[in-house]
Amino acid sequence: MSTLAVATRHRLLGTQGLVGAGLLAAIVAIAVYGVFLPDSAGRARVAAPYAEPQSGLPLGSDDLGRNLLEQLIVGAGISLSLAFIVAALTTLIAAIVGGLAGIGPRGLSAPLMRGADVMLVLPELILFILAAAFLGQSFWTRVAIMAVILWPVPSRLLRSAVLTSWSRGHLEVARAMGAPLWWVLGRHASYIIGPLLVPVFVRTAMRAIIYDATLSFLGLGDPTTPSWGTTLYWVQVNGVFLSDAWLWWAVPPGAAITLTVLALALIGTSVEDRLNPALKDFS
Amino acid sequence: MTDVQETLPGSTLGRRGSWSYFAGRGLEYALVLAVALTLNFALPRALPGGPMKLFGNPEALARLTAEERAQIASEYGFGQPLWQQFLDYLQGVFTLDLGTSLADGRPVTEAIATALPWTLLLVGTSIVITALLGVSLGVLGGLRRREGKGAGLLAGAIALDSIPQFWLGMLLIVFFGVKLQVLPTFGVSDAGVVTIGGVAEHLILPVVTLTVTGIGYLFMYTRSSLLAVLTSQPVEHAHARGVPRGRLVRRHVLRPALLPVHTILMLDIGFLAAGSIVVETVFAYPGLGRLTFDAIAARDYPLMQGTFLVLTVMVVLMNALADLTYPLLDPRARTGGSR
Repeated sequence: MSTLAVATRHRLLGTQGLVGAGLLAAIVAIAVYGVFLPDSAGRARVAAPYAEPQSGLPLGSDDLGRNLLEQLIVGAGISLSLAFIVAALTTLIAAIVGGLAGIGPRGLSAPLMRGADVMLVLPELILFILAAAFLGQSFWTRVAIMAVILWPVPSRLLRSAVLTSWSRGHLEVARAMGAPLWWVLGRHASYIIGPLLVPVFVRTAMRAIIYDATLSFLGLGDPTTPSWGTTLYWVQVNGVFLSDAWLWWAVPPGAAITLTVLALALIGTSVEDRLNPALKDFS
Repeated sequence: MTDVQETLPGSTLGRRGSWSYFAGRGLEYALVLAVALTLNFALPRALPGGPMKLFGNPEALARLTAEERAQIASEYGFGQPLWQQFLDYLQGVFTLDLGTSLADGRPVTEAIATALPWTLLLVGTSIVITALLGVSLGVLGGLRRREGKGAGLLAGAIALDSIPQFWLGMLLIVFFGVKLQVLPTFGVSDAGVVTIGGVAEHLILPVVTLTVTGIGYLFMYTRSSLLAVLTSQPVEHAHARGVPRGRLVRRHVLRPALLPVHTILMLDIGFLAAGSIVVETVFAYPGLGRLTFDAIAARDYPLMQGTFLVLTVMVVLMNALADLTYPLLDPRARTGGSR
């Protein structure tokens, strides 16, 4: 049975979620295609600067004569892989921190949560700009920066989920009967907390894509790698919107960011809605 | 979205008397402020890439003799021991003397004082419009969750929430600035002449950008807060008692549902100033966000610290304001939880 059929049968995603999943699958397919392009794709000069769309060059070329369509495709791979790695890493950190702060020793939970509180007071975008400006723009640096800055919100969320699940009747009974921690976690708590990891993952991926694009747009991205945000940075620097070139130069990368984030948001909200059965029958 | 309330700082109320409650909160804020001040001092110094890089290119720096370097360093206080720098910094903060910008020699306080009103104008206007539209649409979307209109609103909100700010700003510039040529696209006034009409005209596109991209989140938040209250026991009980729907919504649903919305709105105001960096870049708006970005790009430590300080204090202040005004809206909080 296909994954799609399973998802429909278990009603994990509604129509809305399926639309999002389809959209995401299409973008992932494009990104995978981009991986098989030669290294020079989107980086090498292939045409006259500012070329208009023509055969073999569907989206024209930029100010250095680079293929804009190739930049778009290569950018998809970078954006998605960054987002998914960051999301996986952040979800893992959040699960560990949230778990420790929820049921760990009290001496550990208080400092962890106060640390999260302090992080939440500092404006995120400023932290990102600071880190990008000082620490550099290589792929793994960006991944590390994002994971370090994005962990507090999901950690708080997962902590409250752990606390709620811990006070559920059957978990209290299991613990009262002397079940060891690993058993309670694996056999009982994981069924309550596990599904919550999906929206946490999806939301973190969304934020990673938006922040990465924003930083690249501000000129803090990696200039040697094509990316959606970097393409839009050159749009801004060259004042592209003064000519007709905005149509094939500025619109596609922005639309790509919007569609990717939208696909993730559709999946995320529909999973969240399904997780809250109390709302299902209310009209 | 359903768990957002629990992740919100500032809305937890202890079961204590109101005086000891406020004292406790005050102490907490003082602590956060102290940590922020220290981080603010430490952060730029801990990061690689020193201020010396600012003085021209590396070759020019290499040509400086050791004495010249020492002189520049001592002039700006970089040569002193760290604790001395910290004390100077603290003293400066409390006397509003934040030093001079390394980039253009202006006093930092003056640079911030010029930029801050523009950002407050921009952020203030957009938050009022966003709040009015977002909250009323959110209430509508929550009440009509099952009907076509509610579902359509939700889909629209999710879509708006996905658009990157800078891209929307660019598209607005293309349509209204270049194609139709009806609205100005950069700065705050025409050729330095500041008039109310001119400033308002320059404000339209940045405000629209902030509003359109900010409304989706507020809509979804209001909606989920409303849904949580709609399924709560007091509301179900009132419904069972036969309270008419209009009265039910006004008295039993709206008031409790909008409490967390009030908190998040206050917090948003604090964060928006920092978030306006992007919009201020797209529209060349001379606000605090742009100032901060330029300071970071130029490794301008004093200016960087000054702008961070203002941004952080704004967040803490709005946090405190949200806490202080909460009991005015929620009678349950007035007694501090003790009956």
